[in-house]
Amino acid sequence: MAPARVSQTELDARKIVGVNAETVTNVSSTDIPGHYPGEDHEWDLEDFRNTFKVKFHKHQPFDCAFSLIGIDASIANAFRRILIAEIPTLAIEYVFVHNNTSIVQDEVLSHRLGLIPLTGNPAGLRWLQQYRKPTDEDPVGSGVQDVNTVVMKLKVECTKADNYDELNKKREDDPRLLYKHAHVYAKDLEFVVSGRQDTFFSGEANQIKPVHPDILLAKMRPGQCIDMEMHCIKGIGADHAKFSPVATASYRLLPTISITKPILGNEAKKFARCFPKGVIGLEEVSRSEAKQKGSGYEGHEGEKKAVVKNTFKDTVSRECLRHPEFEGKVKLGRVRDHFIFMVESTGQYQSDELFLESVSILKEKCASMKRGLAEYTR
Amino acid sequence: MSREAYVAPTSAFNTGTTVDPGPGLTTQYICGDCNQKVLLKQGDGIRCKECGHRILYKERTKRMVQFEAR
Amino acid sequence: MMEQTQQQTSIETGPQRIRVLPGSNETAASFQFDQEDHTLGNALRFMIMKNPEVELCGYSIPHPSEAKMNLRIQTYEGTTVYDALEKGLDDLMDLCDVVTTTFTDTRDDFAASTGAE
Repeated sequence: MAPARVSQTELDARKIVGVNAETVTNVSSTDIPGHYPGEDHEWDLEDFRNTFKVKFHKHQPFDCAFSLIGIDASIANAFRRILIAEIPTLAIEYVFVHNNTSIVQDEVLSHRLGLIPLTGNPAGLRWLQQYRKPTDEDPVGSGVQDVNTVVMKLKVECTKADNYDELNKKREDDPRLLYKHAHVYAKDLEFVVSGRQDTFFSGEANQIKPVHPDILLAKMRPGQCIDMEMHCIKGIGADHAKFSPVATASYRLLPTISITKPILGNEAKKFARCFPKGVIGLEEVSRSEAKQKGSGYEGHEGEKKAVVKNTFKDTVSRECLRHPEFEGKVKLGRVRDHFIFMVESTGQYQSDELFLESVSILKEKCASMKRGLAEYTR
Repeated sequence: MSREAYVAPTSAFNTGTTVDPGPGLTTQYICGDCNQKVLLKQGDGIRCKECGHRILYKERTKRMVQFEAR
Repeated sequence: MMEQTQQQTSIETGPQRIRVLPGSNETAASFQFDQEDHTLGNALRFMIMKNPEVELCGYSIPHPSEAKMNLRIQTYEGTTVYDALEKGLDDLMDLCDVVTTTFTDTRDDFAASTGAE
């Protein structure tokens, strides 16, 4: 069968998900073999290599925004799910309490410690391996070793400040002045090197430490003390949220706005206000446009018309669909294969590194499945 | 630092046997009023040595307790 | 010591297992994947559907409390389901490679251009 020729407009229209006042239309992707008779939608790696694009919008160490264009939703979603739940991340897992006479209960303090995001030398973090916990089937597990466990300790005691008596006379009530170590912060966590970790984690910059030193953990008064040892292991977000390396990772589809009939003058100004700044611009109707018969601009030369400038900033609030004067003049939609990703890291890994790791984990799942299939069919 | 293998199956507390002081050992308590440390032997009357108050609190155990940070 | 047959970046969740559910033949089969969910399921379904030799491909998760994923493939005469599944996995791995190289190149260009400013 001769391949049917499809116009570019038709191809573009297929890519738009319609966003209407009460409904969303044309949602599913239709580029599968057999959906359009005569067309070839077979998977072709070279085609994909040529059409797939990445565009960066923001590239800060722990916060980046980029677009993936030409990919299917199922793949983009797989990357997002892996970013949130399947990238191994280091966090405090076991807390050994030698003494805790503070007001904060042992288990509450342990829970808070688990949620503290940690950072350290990236090469060292990559070197650390998974610690397998002892189970019924495997009572030994991995065994606690330098290659799978990071030891930290927290030892703080609250005492009266040296000038406590004179502060008291002045009726000072700020506990941070009256006492030493009244407030226990994440910066009080100390890293304890074990074994081969000194090759990676020596020095102020490299050692395992909390990303945010000012996280308040507990408050104490004189006579109280906290003395505990922590073991940190690598885990995944699917197991516990503390192991998720991203504050969040999300994507949205690029919005489209098409103005089907002219919007002029004050209507155009109102139209522009329906969208965030910069999405809609106002331009003058040129003489050549006014001359075109049937364009709707006849007789309106010089007036301001609404023009779509930059849909990237649009939040698709559908505000313009609420006003009867714009009925039939505007169509909203989203581009089905343009994913604007936002990856906000908690600080252990860099955002772009996290995305690359997510892609490689998907690849590894496939490789592992292939091995399993080969063994099964043997 | 010794790490006792009191790992309970759930993320919880140590269940150890309570220590019976016996006639010779003294245990330290804290007075409810004056926060004075009070040493009492087995069979001693429960009374603070200083202020005479009869409510004494036991100190936190010296044993290590393990938790899962979850 | 942990066994590492090759460079592993992910956490092992237990032995990966595939099995074929009963009632299958060379051109119609249901596979059960252990320790998998929508992440691999939907992505793999998409890649396998892109194969014109595949008549049907769908996945389901029988119960959300169990980490099992069923994948049904039906092929036209001329391809076996095992070939279709393997091709799907290979294509998905190729896609990941393209994404990695394109992303890395674009990221380096962007970093260089913003760094130069």
